[in-house]
Amino acid sequence: MNEKLTQICAEGERAVASAKNEIELQEIKASLLGKQGSLTGILKELPKMAPEMRPAMGKEINEVKNHLSSLIDARREELLLKASEIPADFDTTVPGIPPLQGGKHPIKQMRDDLNDAFRSMGFEIFEEDEITSELYAFDKLNFPPNHPARESMDTYWIAGHDKGQANEKLCLRPHLTGGSVRYLQTHKAPYRFVYPGRVYRNETTDARHERAFYQYEALIVDRDFTFASGKVMIRSILSKVFGREVPVRMRAGFFPFVEPGFEIDMGCLVCGGKGCSVCKNVGWIEVMPGGTPHPNVLRAAGLDPDEYTGFYVNIGLDRLVMMRYGVDDVRLFNSADLRFLSQFR
Amino acid sequence: MKLSLNWIKDYVAIPDDMDLSRFAYDLTMSTVEVEATHDIGAAFNKIVVGRILAVQPHPNADKLRVCQVDTGDGAPHDIVCGGSNLAPDMLVAVALPGSFVRWHGEGEPVEIKQTKLRGVDSYGMICASSEIGLADLFPPRQESEIVDLTGFAAAPGTGVAAALGLDDIVLEIDNKSMTNRPDLWGHYGMAREIAALYDLPLRSIPAYTVPAGTPGFPVHIDDPDGCPRYIGVRMEGLSVKPAPYEMRVRLWKVGLRPINALVDITNYVMMALGQPTHAFDADMITDCIRVRRAADGEPLRLLNGKELALNHDDLVIADAKEAVALAGVMGGEKDSILPTTGKVILEVANFESTGIRKTALRYDNRTDASTRYEKAIDPERCGPALSLAMDLFARIYPGMKVTAFTDAYPKKGKQAEIDVSYNWLDRRLGKHLTQQEISHKLERLGFRVTFTGDNMHVTAPTWRSTGDVSIKADIMEEVARMYGYENFEPAPITTTFTGVINQLQISLVRNIEEYLACRCGMQEVLTYPWMKEEFVQAVLQSTDGILELSTPPSPEERFVRSSTLPNLCQAVVKNERYFDEFSIFEEAQVFCDRDYTSPYDESEKLPSQRRHIGCAFAAKADTPEEVAQLFRKVKGIFENMPRYTHMEAFRFTKDVRPVWADNTVWLNFFVGDRMAGSLGLLSKKVSLACGIRNLTVMLAELDTEVLVPFRSRTNAFVHLPEYPMTDYDISMLVDVGTTWADIEKSVLSKRRELLHGVSFVDEYRGKQIPAGKKSLTIRVTIGSHDKTLTSEEIEACAHAVIKTLHKDLGAEIRGK
Repeated sequence: MNEKLTQICAEGERAVASAKNEIELQEIKASLLGKQGSLTGILKELPKMAPEMRPAMGKEINEVKNHLSSLIDARREELLLKASEIPADFDTTVPGIPPLQGGKHPIKQMRDDLNDAFRSMGFEIFEEDEITSELYAFDKLNFPPNHPARESMDTYWIAGHDKGQANEKLCLRPHLTGGSVRYLQTHKAPYRFVYPGRVYRNETTDARHERAFYQYEALIVDRDFTFASGKVMIRSILSKVFGREVPVRMRAGFFPFVEPGFEIDMGCLVCGGKGCSVCKNVGWIEVMPGGTPHPNVLRAAGLDPDEYTGFYVNIGLDRLVMMRYGVDDVRLFNSADLRFLSQFR
Repeated sequence: MKLSLNWIKDYVAIPDDMDLSRFAYDLTMSTVEVEATHDIGAAFNKIVVGRILAVQPHPNADKLRVCQVDTGDGAPHDIVCGGSNLAPDMLVAVALPGSFVRWHGEGEPVEIKQTKLRGVDSYGMICASSEIGLADLFPPRQESEIVDLTGFAAAPGTGVAAALGLDDIVLEIDNKSMTNRPDLWGHYGMAREIAALYDLPLRSIPAYTVPAGTPGFPVHIDDPDGCPRYIGVRMEGLSVKPAPYEMRVRLWKVGLRPINALVDITNYVMMALGQPTHAFDADMITDCIRVRRAADGEPLRLLNGKELALNHDDLVIADAKEAVALAGVMGGEKDSILPTTGKVILEVANFESTGIRKTALRYDNRTDASTRYEKAIDPERCGPALSLAMDLFARIYPGMKVTAFTDAYPKKGKQAEIDVSYNWLDRRLGKHLTQQEISHKLERLGFRVTFTGDNMHVTAPTWRSTGDVSIKADIMEEVARMYGYENFEPAPITTTFTGVINQLQISLVRNIEEYLACRCGMQEVLTYPWMKEEFVQAVLQSTDGILELSTPPSPEERFVRSSTLPNLCQAVVKNERYFDEFSIFEEAQVFCDRDYTSPYDESEKLPSQRRHIGCAFAAKADTPEEVAQLFRKVKGIFENMPRYTHMEAFRFTKDVRPVWADNTVWLNFFVGDRMAGSLGLLSKKVSLACGIRNLTVMLAELDTEVLVPFRSRTNAFVHLPEYPMTDYDISMLVDVGTTWADIEKSVLSKRRELLHGVSFVDEYRGKQIPAGKKSLTIRVTIGSHDKTLTSEEIEACAHAVIKTLHKDLGAEIRGK
């Protein structure tokens, strides 16, 4: 009896150790501990034994049973671990699989960054049509009747609509400010809004000049707003866009629809203001014209210029995006060349 | 415009210790943009005056000479030179080792080194004028001529810059930054501004007095609006000769080429005072000067040889017979300074700006004079210009005699008068300035200011009264810029909260852009708002209803975008060379010559303008299966768009085939009853017409104005199933004409409690499938809300579905 138990235990140990997978292990477990199992068989013979031997024998059988059970569990663990074992030569330097490769246009990314920044300052976003009349392209903006920009060299006029009164002459908008007047006319002061959009000028193109470019206008009209506040606004916006403090300066400038007018420069981020080829060695880069809306513009919008004033800037996004990435040819933006565009994820 | 600092110093005593960069910075901040400051003298570093002691032949070269030159350092040096005019005792410009010259006047400057030339040591180089950038100042008269400085009587070793008066700073001003400041287009005007900025005294131009008894000169101004003032001076005792060197060098520094003394005087006056003048040969002028409109077709040959046929809008200077000059633009060839000129009629005149600008543009003939006139010059400026010119004539031609003089001044300018509320100024500036401070700043600029209570009465000087200063905002600007924009402390912006900004349509379009770019892997592009004719014809197949530009970038690009697709097809052609598979989209406005409305202003009629999003998907797809894959990808993007971007769902149907689409593979999508767009396979024919070589293209276009954004995120929560749901795949053979829509309809036709949905898995056509049939695999989801189903119950449900499919569509289960 004892020998038989020893033999079952030994055979069981061998069988468990040599089990190659879970199925074999299950079979071995059944052959030892199952209803028809060898150990169960011995247990069934226990009542036939002398009563004084039963407790000791019973105890011994139980010990063997527990021993084999734990061996089976351990072997199962071992097999599971082995199943997931990765060869040591697994190559982790293989490149990952990229997610879907798409992207917004870099200028639109900048537009959205600015929209987010201005919205956080309580600005509305305004959009409006690209074909406009001379009335809103020039007349309402205090452009004198013979201003050079009115001539065909600067504006794309629509054939068949290029003669007659200002309200009958149609063109691709040469700037956004006419649209801003539309906003002023249809909303109640005070207001603050931004107006992103593309504008078109009939010009010769080269690496720094384009016929189509993206502008971004911001306008506040309120009872009292000094240009010193405008400077704060510009500095916060640029700092948000570029992710660091950007020095800003305002200097004398002239544009028909503002008075006083400013050129707004930002410190050159390429050289940190020390002077480099990007900033033509002056340390500053002209980024936007701005100023207080001209009294005639406010009047065109039905506002009393003695009561209302404001602050206006017109940001050339192309220029800003060129700065952001170091792009050296503005024409790439309208090229639809994916080798270029796919660089801006 | 270029300005010489020394020239400015004639009029205002700028301290010699003024920091140049600070000076340029101050001017930029308050007045005009100084683009660059050039130290002219610096370019002549180590280029010195040398005296040639002897000239000997070169032992190894016929054309070269070996000169002994005294360069002022004690010992004579041998310098090899090929100059044709070398002679002992001549003073020359010697570029010593370490200096920079331009070889033969071309290319980038190169450094001079001590070297052997054909076997002979040469200590530097004797220069031709072009090699040190002085060709305009010392034009060579023969080949290989070196510049002869003998007339300058400078000691050997003196720097060339010092010897020739070239030690000067030239400021380069951005012309655009002073289009509104006609008063600044000369050295005197800039000096006046600088004097105001730094509180320095300004020197005036001594006034000219007409000699007593000088007879008048007949000047007739037929058009006083076009010519408010005309001073004519007739002079004798003149001749054509070079101007004094000092005058020539000044003109040269500011970018003008010296010609002869008579012409140079007129240019000098223009650069000094910003007032153009012109000199006629008095012998060529018959009887009188008449300022009149040209007759239509009247001929005039300009100084630059251009033959013009004038029209009535042009203002001309004429004599009794014919036009002799295009007023304010350029003189006529026949009547201006000639080699024989000995008598001159000097014109110092004022012309109206707009007419001059139009005439100059009409003949594409803008000049330094017209550029100044078109800014609107103050007629008072004729006075100092005359004074300066007469002073120069008298000095250069001591025998000069004025024989006739007339100052016709029919239309005096008005000084602008503006009333400004002191309180208003205070508020707008956001900075308190005392009345004294304000008066002082304005008076320095030539304004007169009187305070009466709160009112400030400002009279602008004549030179600021031609349109530049006219309203109180202009006065505020003058005060602010003189105070210095940098000196205003930053002020916080106050915000009034008036509610959350919620612009649904704008947000929706941005959501769609981000969905396409970020979720669908598409690249956004921007293209021009015009379309190329070949792509319009290929894709849209007609130009009807398309607006055209009257002055397009090129004749074939005259069509204004009426659809986003032609430009996208053009982009596909462009990118096909580099990529096998890509998808792009563009959000843009499209325009049509119809549906004119007045969306903003009743007086305007604007054409139809809508905001579209166009998409192009290009891939290698040669087999019908690959096309089917591409189609499903594209359709999937639009099927899922409403869910991801929070708008009302699309209904897909075939209603109107887009002209560019394949006969079969296309769909329209609707929002409610309104068509929102179409997608489709670009037909082979259109694809070839576009020049697309290798790739298969699907297009889609969406009218974003039809889309209906949800006010918030919508879809309702669905409870999670408590008991397991089973996916059961069914593969079947059906007729090739049976569509997925038919299958879906059949499966869902009967309400079955245990059936929770059906989806498409796969379609297959191939060898193993009998002709006229296709294999279709669908997946049905089976489960109960009350219990776990037994496999028998699941099978029973699946078989009921199969039975219906067989009955409705003749579907045969595969492999059973």
